[in-house]
Amino acid sequence: MCFKNLPIEFDDKGRAHLKQDVRDPYAYETRSLHDQADKVKELLARNGYIKSVDLDPVTRVAGALAFHSVVDLKDRKVLETNSMATLFRGYEVILKGRDPRDAAFISSRACGVCGGVHATTSALALEMAFPVKPPPLGIAVRNLLLALEFWYDNPLHLFLLAGPDYSQSIVQTTNPGIWERAQKTPAPHANVHGYKTVGDIMLDLNPLTGGLYLEGLQMTRTAREAYVMVGGKYPHPETVIPGGISTTISITTFNEIYSRLSQLFDYCKKTAFIWDDLVDFFYAVNPEYKKVGTRPANLIDSGIWDDPFAYDASYENSNAWGERRWATPGVIVDGQVVTTKLQALNIGVEEFVTHSYYEEWNTKRFDTDPAGNPLSPYHLWNKDTKPQPAGQNWREKYSWSTAPRWDRKAMEAECCARLWITGAAQVIPHRRFIEPTGHGVKMHVPMSTLPAMDLEWKIPEVWNAFERNRGRAYHLVFTTCVAFDNWLVGLDLVKRGHTEIHTEFETPRHGLHIGAGFWGAGRGYLTHHATIDNGALSNYQILTPSTWNASPRDPWGNPGPYEEAVLNTPLLEEFSSAENFKGIDILRAIRSFDPCMPCTTHIHVDGTDQVVTREVNTCACGIED
Amino acid sequence: MKDEFAPGLREQTLARAQRVTGKMNWKNEQSTRVMIAGVGYHNLSDLSLGPVLVPQLQHMEWSPGIEIDDWSFGPLAVVQRLEDQPNYYDRLILISAVERGRAPGAVHAYRWQKQLPDADEIQQRIGEAIMGVISLDNLLIIGQHFGVLPEDVIVIEVEPEDLNWGEKFTARVQAALPRVIDMVRAYARAWDG
Repeated sequence: MCFKNLPIEFDDKGRAHLKQDVRDPYAYETRSLHDQADKVKELLARNGYIKSVDLDPVTRVAGALAFHSVVDLKDRKVLETNSMATLFRGYEVILKGRDPRDAAFISSRACGVCGGVHATTSALALEMAFPVKPPPLGIAVRNLLLALEFWYDNPLHLFLLAGPDYSQSIVQTTNPGIWERAQKTPAPHANVHGYKTVGDIMLDLNPLTGGLYLEGLQMTRTAREAYVMVGGKYPHPETVIPGGISTTISITTFNEIYSRLSQLFDYCKKTAFIWDDLVDFFYAVNPEYKKVGTRPANLIDSGIWDDPFAYDASYENSNAWGERRWATPGVIVDGQVVTTKLQALNIGVEEFVTHSYYEEWNTKRFDTDPAGNPLSPYHLWNKDTKPQPAGQNWREKYSWSTAPRWDRKAMEAECCARLWITGAAQVIPHRRFIEPTGHGVKMHVPMSTLPAMDLEWKIPEVWNAFERNRGRAYHLVFTTCVAFDNWLVGLDLVKRGHTEIHTEFETPRHGLHIGAGFWGAGRGYLTHHATIDNGALSNYQILTPSTWNASPRDPWGNPGPYEEAVLNTPLLEEFSSAENFKGIDILRAIRSFDPCMPCTTHIHVDGTDQVVTREVNTCACGIED
Repeated sequence: MKDEFAPGLREQTLARAQRVTGKMNWKNEQSTRVMIAGVGYHNLSDLSLGPVLVPQLQHMEWSPGIEIDDWSFGPLAVVQRLEDQPNYYDRLILISAVERGRAPGAVHAYRWQKQLPDADEIQQRIGEAIMGVISLDNLLIIGQHFGVLPEDVIVIEVEPEDLNWGEKFTARVQAALPRVIDMVRAYARAWDG
C-alpha cells in the first residue's frame, strides 16, 4: 500500500483502483500563502538582523535560477525561501501537431548537457505508443550511451560546478578556520587519490587552476569522444530513434569505447574517495554541516538501463521489465522504499501550477492508464501546458517551474536515488559488478592502473547537501560498472552474430496511441509522456529532474526541494557583518542538487506557434507585490 | 575529370585528412592557415547568422590554406580541438550575430584584443559553456584563457533584429550578408590585416 494521500488502493493482483465512496478523489483545497508572506515582511521591517538575500542568477547553475531567501544572521537561520525558474521554453507546445518521429530530435534540444537522454526518453515513449521493441543489441548500446552521458555530467558537476564550493579559494574566504584545519588533516584515502591532506584536495578543487578542475574538463572530452562513436554527435545525437539505434556497431566500435571506458575505472575510484574524504572531514570539523541542505529523504526515480532480454516497451509489462533494470525504479518516502513498480510510480505523479506561471487546465482526457489504473486529472497524460505569467508575487505565482508531486508529496529527483532504491529494494537480477546489500550497494570496479576494488555506497543516516555530492561521486562508480557490464553484453551479442540494432516500425496514422518514456538524466528522474492522435502528436509532456527539485510551493503551501533544503540550512559561514556575508551554505545546499534550469522551464507566445527564449523579471526582489 | 567537390570543400577535406595523419606541413609553398568559423545557434532567426553562413562560404572558391567550419559545438570542445593542433592556424575569423544594441543589420569587424575578465567571470563563462551555452564571447574568453587561440583573431559581428525561434533572417540582416561575405573574403586574403 504505497499511497497515503491519494485515494488509491490495490487488489490482491496488484491492480490499482480508487477507494470506494470518495466523492471527488482528486479534489484539493489551496492554502493561502498570505499569512506566511506577511509574517516575513513584518520581521524584515522590525529586526535589523533579518536580511533578504537574493541570489540572481545562482552562478554555476545553467543560467536561469533565481533564489530568494530571508535569513536571520543573529540566529544564523533561514526564515523564508523561494525558488524561481526565470526562463521558460515550450517543447510541449513546439511538439504539438508534429510527426511523432520529430520528437526525439526536437526534445533533445531541451538541454545542452542531457540532449541524449531526452532523445532516448522520447524514443522510449514512442516505442510504447507505436509499439516497437528494439533488438537486444539496440538496448545494450542505448544503455552504454546513457552511461557515457553520465561520464560527462557527473564529473563536471562534482569538479566544475559544485566542487569549487569546497575549494581552498572559497573555504579560506568563508571559513578560514576550516581551511587551517584542512591543511593539517591527513586524507584517509591518500593511497588511492594521491592527496596527502584534505587541504591538498581543496587546492586542486580551485576553479580554473586546480588539477581536479582541469581533469574534470578533460573527462568531458573523454565522454564525448566515446559517445560520438555511436551517437554521431553530442549532446544531440542523430542515431537515437524509436526501435533502437540507427547506426552499425562492430567490434571495432566496442574496442574504441573500451579505450575510454578503461580510463573511468581509476577515475571513478579516485572520485568516490575524494568525496568521502571531503564529506567526512566537514562532518568531523562541525557536525552541524549534516544539516546543510537537509530535508526528508523523499526521492523518486524512474529507473534506467533496460535488460536487453526483458524490455518489451509495453506499459502492461512495465512493472516487470522495470524491475529488471540495472537501476531499479521506485519511490522512497522518509528513507523507505514504498514501491518499485513503474505503474504505481506513474499514476502517483501529478503536476500543479498554483504558484507557477501557467493557467490551470480543466480537461481530463484519460480516467485510467493503459493498464486500467486510475489517473489524476493532474497527471501528465491529462496535462495541458497553458503559459500565463500573471500575478507575479510570492503569494501568487513566482516560477516557470511547476510543482510535481508524488502522492502529493514533494519528491526529490537525484541520481543517488538509483543506488538507494536498487540497494534497499534488492529486486534486481544478478548483475556482474553490482551487489545490492539492503543497506547500500557494493560495486566491484575492475583494475586499471589502480588494482580492482570493491567500493560500497551506504544509505546515509541523514540526507543533505554533502550526501548528495558523495552520492553523485558513487553514482559515477555505479555508472562505470553498468557501462562495463553492458559493454560485455553488447560485445557478446556481436560476437554471436546478433548484430541487429534496430527494429523497423510504422508510425500509426490512425487512432489514439499513448506512451511514456521512463528514463533518467545525470541528475535523476526523467519522463516524457506522448499522446498521438491520427498520426500526429496531440500532447507531449516532459518532466525533468530539475522540475521536481526547483518546484515552487504546492497548493497546500509545502515548499519544493530546493526551498525546503535551504530552509533547513544553518548558516555556518564565518562573517563579521551582513556586508561580508557570502551565503556559501545556501549555495552549497542549492548546488548539491546539480540544478539544470533550462530543462525545467518552458516558453511560448500564447495564441501563436511562436516559441521564444527570454528571461522574465530575473530580479527576485522586483516581483514582490 | 569533373571535380566532385564544391570549390573549397576539397581543400578542407584534404586538410582534415592530413591533420589526422599528422602531415602538418601539407603545403610547402603555403605557410599560412586561416580558419573561418561561424558561431551561434541554429533556428534562432538572425542569431543563427554564423552557422547559416558556413555552408554558403564553403561553396565559394578559396585560396589554399583557408578552412571554413561551423564552430557552434561549444567553446570547450573548440578549445580541445585547438589543443590538438597547437599553433596550427595563423588567423581565425569568427562570424556571429551578437546583440549589442546597435542598429539592426549593422556589421562590425574588429581584432580580438585579448582582454580577459576576472577569474570569477571566466569561471562563470566556463560554467555556461559546459552546460551547453553557445556564445561568441564565451568562445573568445575561454579560448584566450586556455591559450589556444591564434595570435590573430578577427571577429565579424552582425547586430540581430529578431531573436526568436525561426528559420529566416530579417530583411536588414539579410541585406547585410553580402557585406559580411566581402569582409570575410577581405580578411582571409589580406594577410597583413
